[in-house]
Amino acid sequence: MPFAALFALASCGEVAGSDDRAEIYLQRFFGECGAQFGSATDVAKVEGECGIVTAMINKFNAGNPDVRVSSNVVAWPGYPQLSAQMAARDPPDLVTMHTGMIPDYSAEGLLEPIEPYLAEAGIAPSALTEASRGAVTIGGRLYGLPFDTHGGLFHINTKLFARAGLMKDGRPVLPTSPEEMIAQARQFTERTGKPYLIQSLVGDNAYAARNLYTYLLAQDAVLFPSPRRIRLQTEQAERIVDFFRAITASGVSTRNQDTPAAIASFMSGEGGIYPTGTWMIGQFEAEANTPGRPLHKSYTVYPYPRLWGADVSYVSGHAWVVPKRERSPAQRRAIGRFFRFIAEHNFDWARTGHLPAFKAVVESPAFKALPHRSNIAPVASTGRPLPGGVRRQNAIEGLVGEEVAAAFNGQKPTKQALADAERRVNALLAELD
Amino acid sequence: MSAQPRSRWSPAVLIAILLAAFVMLAPLVWTLLLSLKANSALVGDSGAALSPPYTLENYRSILQGNQVFRWLVNSLIVSGGTTIGVLILCSLAGYGFARLDFPFRRTLFIFVLLGLAIPEQAVILPQHQLFAELRLHNSYPGLILPGLAGPFGVFFMTQYMRAIPRDLDEAAMLDGASRLKLFWKVLLPLTLPAQATLGVFTFLGTWNAYWWPLISATRSDMYTLTVGLASAQMNYAQTSGLGFLMAQAVFASIPIFIVYILFQKQIVRAMAGTAVR
Repeated sequence: MPFAALFALASCGEVAGSDDRAEIYLQRFFGECGAQFGSATDVAKVEGECGIVTAMINKFNAGNPDVRVSSNVVAWPGYPQLSAQMAARDPPDLVTMHTGMIPDYSAEGLLEPIEPYLAEAGIAPSALTEASRGAVTIGGRLYGLPFDTHGGLFHINTKLFARAGLMKDGRPVLPTSPEEMIAQARQFTERTGKPYLIQSLVGDNAYAARNLYTYLLAQDAVLFPSPRRIRLQTEQAERIVDFFRAITASGVSTRNQDTPAAIASFMSGEGGIYPTGTWMIGQFEAEANTPGRPLHKSYTVYPYPRLWGADVSYVSGHAWVVPKRERSPAQRRAIGRFFRFIAEHNFDWARTGHLPAFKAVVESPAFKALPHRSNIAPVASTGRPLPGGVRRQNAIEGLVGEEVAAAFNGQKPTKQALADAERRVNALLAELD
Repeated sequence: MSAQPRSRWSPAVLIAILLAAFVMLAPLVWTLLLSLKANSALVGDSGAALSPPYTLENYRSILQGNQVFRWLVNSLIVSGGTTIGVLILCSLAGYGFARLDFPFRRTLFIFVLLGLAIPEQAVILPQHQLFAELRLHNSYPGLILPGLAGPFGVFFMTQYMRAIPRDLDEAAMLDGASRLKLFWKVLLPLTLPAQATLGVFTFLGTWNAYWWPLISATRSDMYTLTVGLASAQMNYAQTSGLGFLMAQAVFASIPIFIVYILFQKQIVRAMAGTAVR
C-alpha cells in the first residue's frame, strides 16, 4: 500500500500543464537568486552573473507574451544532469555550456547546429568576435550561440606597483620578455616586501594550464597535431614551464596557495599581480570602490603580457546550445527569438566582467566606458580557444594543469612533467570511440 | 566525614577525551561561526569568523530562496518514504531468510549479500535508463525506489531475527497464530531496537544522498535539499560566498541534528555493535 501511495505521488513531480504559448525549457548554471532578483526585469539595475541572467530571462518572458521560458537552475556546472537528461531522451531546449564542453556533446550528435536559429534571429555569424566564433565552431558548423569570451588576465594592485616604481603615466609597467618579468618581480619584492606574483598552484589545475596554453599559442606552437593527440614535449613548452618554475623558486611569488587563498591574498593587498580570469573583475572592482579595503582605488587589469611570440591569450567562453530533440515550429521560432534577445543584451552580460561575444559590443563606447574594459577589449580579437575538434577539454586541462603545476612548484622536473602530461592526455584521447 | 567518590576517569584519560572532543567539535564550531559572518567580511580573511559582529543575513538569504521549503519538503518525503519502505521490506525479507524454509534460500541470501559489494556508480547507467523508460525521473518514486534495494538492511534484519529464540515461534504456533500473525504480533515488536537503528541510518543516508537525486531530479521543483542548495551556489562560492555556503551546510544539517538528538541511544548502540544481539 505504501508503494501505491508512492506511485500516486509521482504525478506531483510533473510540471503543470501549459497554455497556448510556445514553451521552451531553459537550463542554466550561474546560481539561483530568485529571492533577490525573481521579479527583476530591468537588466541595467542588477549586478552579477546570477542577477543579470535572471533579469534577462524575466525580461524576455515579459516582452514575449506568446512564449514561455521555463527556467531550471542546475548545480554547477550541470553536466551530470544534462547528460542524464540526454540519456533519458528528455533534454532541455536551451542550455548554458562552457565552450570547451561543446565538442564532447556535438561529437555524439547530441547538439543541433545553430545556423537555422541564427537565421531566424537575423544574426550573421560574422557579427561574432573571432574568439567567440572560434570557440563554438566545429568542422565549419556553429554549435552554440556564444554568450561571452573569458580567459586569463593580469589583475594588478596599482598601489603596490607604484611603491615598487612600476607605474608610468598612471599605467602599470608590464614586462615584454621573461627576463624583464624576473627583473621587475625582483624590484617589486625588494621594494614592497611582498610577492610580485600571486599564484594558485594548489588544487587549481586551470591556473597552470591557462599559463601554458596562453604562451604556447603565443609562440604559434601546435598543441594538438590532431584532435586525438597532444604535443607537449617541445622546446616552447619547456621554456614556459622553466620560466614559471624559476619565478616560483626565486621567492617573488606565493607558494602553496589554492584559489580561495590566492583571491584572499590579492584582495588583502598581499601581492602585485594575480593572474586569473575575467570573471573576477566585478568582485575586485567592488573592492576597489569600497573605502577602507586594501584594494581601494588600487586595482586595474590587463591581458597577459607578451613574453614570447605574439599577443595571444588562451580563451574559453559560455554559450547557449540547443540539444537535439523534437520541437514544434513555434518552439524553434521561440528559440530564434531568444537568441536575438541574447544578442541584443550582450552588453548587459558583459557587465559581469566577461568579454562580449559580438564585435559591435566590444567596439561600442558603452562597453569601453565600463571600468577597465578598454584595457582588456583586445582579448576579443587576440583570444584563441583550443581547436574545435578536441574533446575532453576539461579533463585535459585537469591533467595538464596537475603536471605543469607540479613543475611550477618544483615538485617534478620540467621534462618529466611535460612527458607525463603528454602521456596521460594521449591515453585519455586514445580511449575515445 | 564521608569519602569523596573517586572519579571514574584518570586526569590523563579525561584530557585525552577532551582533546578528542575538541578535534571533533572544532570544524562544526568553525562552520557555525563562518555561517554567522557576512560574505564580504570573509573574503579577505576567513579568520574574521573568530570576532564579532555576527549576522543572520546568510540564513535570511536561504529562507528567502524561492524554493528552499519545497526542497526541504522533498527531502522529508524522500527520506521518510525510503525509511518506511526499507523498514517494511527488510523486516519481511529478514523474517523470510531467518525463519522460513524455501528452495535456494541460502543461494538467494548470498545473492542479496553480493549487493553490498556493488557500488552505486556501477549500476547508475542501467538504473537511470530503467527509470527513464518507466518515466519515473523527476518524481518521488524515482527518488525513493532505488533506495529501497538495501542489502545491508536485509542482512541486518536477518541476523537480528535469527538471534530471537525459535521457541517463541513454536509457542505462538501452538496457540494457533498464523505466520503473518507470528511476524506481526510476536517477532516484529522484538525487533524494534533494530528497526530504530536501521531507520535512523537509512534516513540519514537518504537525507545526505546527492548523486542519484542530482541526475534523477533534473527539474528544480523536484530537487532535494542537498541538490537544491548546491544549485543555489555560484561559482567561486568558497571565496565570495563563504558565509552563505556555510549557512547552507548548517541549514541542511539541522534535520539530521534533530534525528541524532532524538535517536542518539540507538545510534550509539548501533555504532557499538550491540544492536544485534
